[in-house]
Amino acid sequence: MINRRDFLKNTALGAAGVTLLGLPFSAEAAQNINLTILHTNDQHSRIDPFPDDGRKYGGMGGMARRATLIEQIRKEEPNVLLLDSGDIWQGTPYFNFFGGELEFKLMSEMKYDAATLGNHDFDNGLKGLERQLPNATFPFIIANYDFSGTILKDRFQPFKIFEKQGVRVGVFGLGIELEGLVGKNNFGETVYQDPVAVAREMVQELRGKQKCNLIVCLSHLGYSYKEEKIDDLKLAKQVEGIDLILGAHTHTFLEQPEVVQHESGHETLVNQVGWSGLFLGRIDFAFNRRSKKKTDVRTAALPVNTPVTTS
Amino acid sequence: MTRYFSKTAAALLLALSLASCQRTWVASPSLAETDVPVDKTITADPQYEARIAPYREQVTAKMEEIIGTAPVELGKADYQSPLGNFVVDLMLEQSRSLYDGKIDMATTTNGGLRVPIPLGAVKVGTIFELMPFENELVVLTLDGNTVKEFFDIAAEARYAPIANATFTVQNGKATDIKIGGEPLDLSQNYTIVTSDYLAGGGDNLSVFKKALKSEKVGIMMRDAITQHIRQLTAKGQPIGADTTNRVTILP
Repeated sequence: MINRRDFLKNTALGAAGVTLLGLPFSAEAAQNINLTILHTNDQHSRIDPFPDDGRKYGGMGGMARRATLIEQIRKEEPNVLLLDSGDIWQGTPYFNFFGGELEFKLMSEMKYDAATLGNHDFDNGLKGLERQLPNATFPFIIANYDFSGTILKDRFQPFKIFEKQGVRVGVFGLGIELEGLVGKNNFGETVYQDPVAVAREMVQELRGKQKCNLIVCLSHLGYSYKEEKIDDLKLAKQVEGIDLILGAHTHTFLEQPEVVQHESGHETLVNQVGWSGLFLGRIDFAFNRRSKKKTDVRTAALPVNTPVTTS
Repeated sequence: MTRYFSKTAAALLLALSLASCQRTWVASPSLAETDVPVDKTITADPQYEARIAPYREQVTAKMEEIIGTAPVELGKADYQSPLGNFVVDLMLEQSRSLYDGKIDMATTTNGGLRVPIPLGAVKVGTIFELMPFENELVVLTLDGNTVKEFFDIAAEARYAPIANATFTVQNGKATDIKIGGEPLDLSQNYTIVTSDYLAGGGDNLSVFKKALKSEKVGIMMRDAITQHIRQLTAKGQPIGADTTNRVTILP
């Protein structure tokens, strides 16, 4: 087998150069619709950059800077989806004093399209979350928590479909088991359901009934555990049909997305960008303008020319 | 290395292209990475900065809020100390009001208590300095033998104040262990409230990884301390520790 990383390195230059030049890859590319997915996870109330005092990642991060970066990308790209995989809250006095108000307001202003719930988003209880929901103009998407016995009944959706130039992108959310991780007082009667079973239902719904061209899972399960506990890599292996899992919880920095290949040839990408908004994740997909089929994934570091086998 | 190389090369290509077309250059993230660094090279959006500023000022102001008064400084020391006892006692009291089951004991380690509670006015900021970590309280269920093992570590390492228990240190081992006044029963399970950091085996307490059960209380350790001090102040009481002897050291 060719060393994958070397292959990627060799092709990265070309892709980056061409993109920066604003020229299409080829004549074929002109027939493509591009979709840029930007994502964050585990922001942990990091409004301001880390103090620049010599610590690791010192001077990095900051929501006002992220806003500049996102605005720049929006100017360059016609189709942007901005997503978050949970644990928006807890980690700085901004959360202790304002209960998450500023985090939600700034994310709304950046025009986040959707977020899922992390365990720390329950830190002020269901009431604390309910209190701040009016500050979020973006929806929270979660498919495997049943809130029907709680005050948050009907406040969340299992999935949402975004249409960009005719390309239908289905986004669903998965949360981690709350028992033992979140105080019972804080999650109340929220019922956790098996992520694998729920993800299979979601794929069926989104791929089938909703005729989505791309399926994205916002996951707060965690990247990888040695023990049996469900994680993003296990989910990617066990559930075929998810195109992209945007992970969280384990604060994992990935140089490039992990690719999980299924027997049918379908590939699932798993990505995560550490924590605290130190990085903004970016993955670009291309779709055939006529068929709306995914033709290419470009992270440039990962020019996986995916032969699309599912529709 | 490759990242830098491709960035430089891309910039070169870009410069060449600018010579031939009039497209204005906008700094674009290199697609050689899927994670675009949010660093000093990016200017903070002034509109967002303006929105954040009043909150930032309030954070600074709130740190100055006085929540209680300490008539004497509460410092830490080996085995038991005013600061150690004060913190483990309040961990137990605050957790008991939030947790449904019975909690027998509480512990933390001196390493996690970063500064003393100073004599005089105690501010919100003081508690952030005392407890800068985002640790949560968890209740661990331990079997009798694991409890014994924990007390032996506390006897040898001297760094773990314990609430609602007494013991004697003899030859570096814990003897005469009493929990809630009753002798330790090795055939029984006990519950202890501690931080999630220690529960995960931090600070050499890997013994806690033998817990039969681990449940979050639903409160951060810092919030428990702040809340306790506020409650004392509301009752007109000063910040003070129970310094009744808990650990007897035999020569």
